[in-house]
Amino acid sequence: MPQDMPPVGGYEAVQYKRNLPARGFRPATLLLGVGAVMTYGWYKLIIGIREQNEYAREKMWSRIHLIPLLQAEEDRDLVRRHIADQAREKELLGENIKVYHSDRYVRPTFAATPENVTK
Amino acid sequence: MAARKPVFNQQVLYDTTPLPDSIPKVKEVGASSAPLLSAAFFIGARCRDYNDDFMQCKTENPGKGEFECLKEGRRVTRCARSVIEDINKSCLEQFRAHWQCLDNNNHQLWQCRPAEWKLNKCVYENLNLEKVVPDQPKNSTPVHLRKKQIYAHYPILRGNEPFVPEKSASS
Repeated sequence: MPQDMPPVGGYEAVQYKRNLPARGFRPATLLLGVGAVMTYGWYKLIIGIREQNEYAREKMWSRIHLIPLLQAEEDRDLVRRHIADQAREKELLGENIKVYHSDRYVRPTFAATPENVTK
Repeated sequence: MAARKPVFNQQVLYDTTPLPDSIPKVKEVGASSAPLLSAAFFIGARCRDYNDDFMQCKTENPGKGEFECLKEGRRVTRCARSVIEDINKSCLEQFRAHWQCLDNNNHQLWQCRPAEWKLNKCVYENLNLEKVVPDQPKNSTPVHLRKKQIYAHYPILRGNEPFVPEKSASS
């Protein structure tokens, strides 16, 4: 019995590749394009950030110039209240009790409310 | 908690006792935030030394600076008052325009450049105080002199020129 042999000249090529057209730009072009867009964006972003930094610096300096003034006013008010508190305590209790174990001035957390509105 | 009545005791928390006579009186500045912000750089220009004295005193007296630094504090307040009074005397119109602009623009200094330049010019000519923002990069225009600003809501119209005092000849 004769054996099956390949046809003369060999088999036809099997088409295993899909024959689709490659659409769009070449990868290198795409990469370049994305790179260009990103560069532009970063450029604008950096300009914007630098400008914001300068705004912030200006604001900080305006506040630096004002802080001593605001703090001085606040301190004067605190001293006034402290002296008034001490005087009131002396009047009510007869002596000033040292409340904290330190010589630092402690900003009062609680305020004693007088029975009658102090005028 | 719901049964608890709300207690508003702010009115009894007022303590109106004045300072004792041993501490000299000083008139407070009495300006609100927008005028203060508008005048901040001029206050800084004239009162730098007093401000630094006060802050140094506060640093050197931790915990009792409130009492030790009253004298320096009075100087600071007096100096700032003098600046605001002088601006009011000679540049009231520009000053008002600028701080009202600040009030209307969320206290953002860069929204009010045209008004600010007019104020800077007037203040420089009358009080010889100049606005300087320290520590800026050398290779760019100082922020307060830029004619193009990315974040400003309104473009700077023609006819508004930044004010730069001419003293390049002396320095």
